[in-house]
Amino acid sequence: MDSKISLRQIGIWLVCLALSLGSSQFALGQEGVFLKDEEAPKAVFPEADSFERKVVRSNEEIKAKIQQRMGKTKTSLWEDSYVTFVAKKGETILGYAAIVEEIGKHRPITFIVGVGPDRKIKDAALMVYREAYGGEVRDRRFLQQYKGKQLKDPLLPYRDIQNISGATMSVEAIGRGSKKALALLEVVYFEGTERK
Amino acid sequence: MVLKKIFWTTSITTVRGKKEKQMKTIIVILASLLILPAVCSAQEGDLAAEVRELRAKLERLEKKMTDEEAQKMKRAEAERAALTEQVKKDVMTDVAAKSQSYFGKLVEQTKVGAYGSMRYGTSSLDDLHNTFTFRRLVLTVDSPIAERLKANLELEFERFTELEVEKRLFSSRGVGLQQAVEGTNHSEISLEQAWMQYDIADWLKFRAGALLVPLGRFNINHDDNRWDLPRRSLIDRGVPVLPSTAAWPELGAGFLGDFSAGTTGKVSYQWYVMNGVALDAELEQISQTRAGDTTKFAQEVELRPSRGTFADDIKSGKALATRWAYSPWLGDEIGVSLYWGRYTPDFLPSRPVFSLALDGKKTWGPFEIEGQYVHTRWSGVKDVALAFARKAINSETEAEIGDVETEVEFELANLATSKQGYWVDFRYRFWPEFLGNTLLGKHFANPQLIATLRLEQVWFNQLIKEMAFSSTSLTQFEKENRLLNRVTMGLTYRPVPLVALQLAYEYTRTNRGKSLSSVTNFLTSSKDREYFQHAVLMGLAFGF
Repeated sequence: MDSKISLRQIGIWLVCLALSLGSSQFALGQEGVFLKDEEAPKAVFPEADSFERKVVRSNEEIKAKIQQRMGKTKTSLWEDSYVTFVAKKGETILGYAAIVEEIGKHRPITFIVGVGPDRKIKDAALMVYREAYGGEVRDRRFLQQYKGKQLKDPLLPYRDIQNISGATMSVEAIGRGSKKALALLEVVYFEGTERK
Repeated sequence: MVLKKIFWTTSITTVRGKKEKQMKTIIVILASLLILPAVCSAQEGDLAAEVRELRAKLERLEKKMTDEEAQKMKRAEAERAALTEQVKKDVMTDVAAKSQSYFGKLVEQTKVGAYGSMRYGTSSLDDLHNTFTFRRLVLTVDSPIAERLKANLELEFERFTELEVEKRLFSSRGVGLQQAVEGTNHSEISLEQAWMQYDIADWLKFRAGALLVPLGRFNINHDDNRWDLPRRSLIDRGVPVLPSTAAWPELGAGFLGDFSAGTTGKVSYQWYVMNGVALDAELEQISQTRAGDTTKFAQEVELRPSRGTFADDIKSGKALATRWAYSPWLGDEIGVSLYWGRYTPDFLPSRPVFSLALDGKKTWGPFEIEGQYVHTRWSGVKDVALAFARKAINSETEAEIGDVETEVEFELANLATSKQGYWVDFRYRFWPEFLGNTLLGKHFANPQLIATLRLEQVWFNQLIKEMAFSSTSLTQFEKENRLLNRVTMGLTYRPVPLVALQLAYEYTRTNRGKSLSSVTNFLTSSKDREYFQHAVLMGLAFGF
């Protein structure tokens, strides 16, 4: 049996590649940035018709309050400020959202967490993923697990979150970040001065 | 006002008698003249005090206004300075961001990591010592070169301590070359991965370079710290059944990607064309003094399947490898993979090796089952042996000159018509609450204990046992069927996901009366009665 690959086969192969590269539909393919700031709240509150954006400056007091609510969970990154949103449909508030960051293995993961008035996660969406491996954390089937989770939940792989093999650090980071978002929104909107 | 009163009093007196009036007037005037200075003097004192008070008030007001003005100016100056500083900072940041070089960004985004493992092992085999082994340290580098372009590198140092080469060309009544190589036992430096990838779309990514062959699930997920037992599986490493030992890279190019299948399902694939595995030579040199016999100098050339070359290929055919995996939902996956390619160098007849692997993983909460089956068929083993005999002429040549016996031996090793085998891991992850407040748990967010049971079997069909040839003809060609079994029980403590402290017991067994060393590449057993081994391993695997 001759296992040689003919030039014709390689040619077909290269033509397929060239066609792929030339096709405009690939322009929207995979990138590290999946959502921009302005698109992010819509990803977690698709039914909302308006979003009120508010930047919350971080300070020692806010950090202390967030950490207190997060309990034993320690974040790997503290932002200087947080971009938050109030999602509305007409005059009705559907919930709140916060953009947070956490270090996966080597690099920060940026994502948005939407929280309903019942203080439970309504949805989460990955905005920027920078790690070389573990990009599966942006899959809907993974992020769906966070729906309904609240501050008291562990949000840890092998506890209440199904792990992704080979991406455990990223899975843990999403859990920590989700807790940070829950605590932040609790401090700022549910208990704080921005209470609506 | 005082004067008005005086004049008013004087005018009243004129109404009475002139003299009397005049007299009175004089008296009044005199009296007035006597009293007036005193009255005026008192009034003047009040006025002066009033003026002083007013002046003091005015001065205080002026001082206050001056102070306030100074403070205001000071504040304004501070605000101006702060604003200037902020603008300066913003501009500097902006300029720094804009002027950051491409190289600077690349260096900043490039991440260096590593993983590795060491272990302490005991064995019931006589020739194996209880020993610490630094299995490997693998340096990893990944870098997003540009949008959609990334590169990855893994450089392995296996049991590596040192390598030193000394070389000297000299002339003394002729020309001489002196060369000395110093190295450590079983040391190896190996390029495990080095590729560049272009992300065209999620379902289409182009990758080229030194690629991990996608045959089974272990080879593409081989990092030591991802596994819970301290020794790699038989089919991937210890025998192996894969055409080459894991981690197994090949130089080539191809496509990979993934796409959704249903609401929770996902299909992923890898498809590469590569140089591929080939029979390659290993040269072993032996210098040996023997009591009551001549000194022996032997060279053994062993032709065995090895990973393909990264230089000019020694064969004309290329190999294909592909793996397709379907994950119906998170945590579960089933995969099928194929490898096919010529394994013989050009001076031997063209014969292919074909491998099929099935693998999968199933999760039920803390329980997991993960496994892999591989079947590899080496076509035309006898034809290859015959052709090899024709080319090599004699399998063994020896000559004795004086007190030195010289021997050159050619051998075809580690080939069987087919090999097949599997490993299956049963895992249970847990963490007893009472450990949470101990040293094992209190400093970590999510520590775990993992109990693992691994079952492994390998079947060898027509494994070359003995082969000899003389004057281009095969004089001996014996094959045998063999079976190898291993059971491993382990307990692993993971304080964090990237670190594993492992304890395991292994029982390995082959056919009664046959040596384990002839079917494994890690067990040394010169005695046929040692057909089984008990071993206890303590391992440490880490990544960062």
